Amino acid sequence: MVNDAGQLYTMEGVAAGIIMLLTAYIVVSTTSVYTTGDTHIPDMQLEQLGSDVLAMMDTPDTNGMKSALEIFVNTGNSTDFNNTFLSCCNATTSGKPDNLHMSANVTYRDANTNVITEHLFVAPDNTWTGRESAVRVTRWVQLPSGSPNYGSRAQVVLVEVLLWRA
Amino acid sequence: MACMNEEGQWIVLMGLLVAVALFFLALIINQSALVGQTTAEGVLEFPKNDIRDLRSAIFDYVDTELPDGVKEDIIAISLERKNAVVNFTVNQKMDVSGRWLHPVTIHYNNGVTVYNETVYY
Repeated sequence: MVNDAGQLYTMEGVAAGIIMLLTAYIVVSTTSVYTTGDTHIPDMQLEQLGSDVLAMMDTPDTNGMKSALEIFVNTGNSTDFNNTFLSCCNATTSGKPDNLHMSANVTYRDANTNVITEHLFVAPDNTWTGRESAVRVTRWVQLPSGSPNYGSRAQVVLVEVLLWRA
Repeated sequence: MACMNEEGQWIVLMGLLVAVALFFLALIINQSALVGQTTAEGVLEFPKNDIRDLRSAIFDYVDTELPDGVKEDIIAISLERKNAVVNFTVNQKMDVSGRWLHPVTIHYNNGVTVYNETVYY
């Protein structure tokens, strides 16, 4: 005979069933552990930071002046380029500075032979990345009156910076 | 089930409901890493800074009165180092609402993102 006794026991049984199913689902779906390095979120932040620093260095102080980046590339001043870039990258609002490292090269084209050459601008130091990848950021630099390092004609060169957190 | 004490059933039921709610919250945390990954990969893959930098390089090229070889520099180095097919043309100045501006057409394609623009500069 059917009666309506024990309704709450039935609901309890249903609830326990749902919990067991959810548990099984979570256990099965967590066989791979996601770390922050897998999600590329720090890479994205690092790339944006590097692009912003290059854009900032490529902005002249006043209209009509040359930007710091253009001067560094034109004169081949890799030491000041390295110091300026890293001091901007490693600045934090509070606490100790970040631990970013970089290398850079400048790519330019020989107009006569149409050969594209990479020139090592800042050599990498002997640091390793952790689990995060290195990212590459680039910036075009106009050299309207040429450069002693890349040819005397008016040209545009590509500054590429490899940036990593040690 | 005979002689079983049936008091406190609501308390037991509410306990179960809380347990179910906690599982749903755990599920949301479980998904958050995936959501962050797709967002970050989308940002990484979209060449926002490349396109903006290319535009400013082309505008600098127009500002410096179109020196010889610079256009070829941009096109060749883009292909070699940025894996991007780039082309652009700067046409003669024309009257745009009383101002004389160059019509500049920019084409950019890196295999993932295609960007075309006609801008009066």
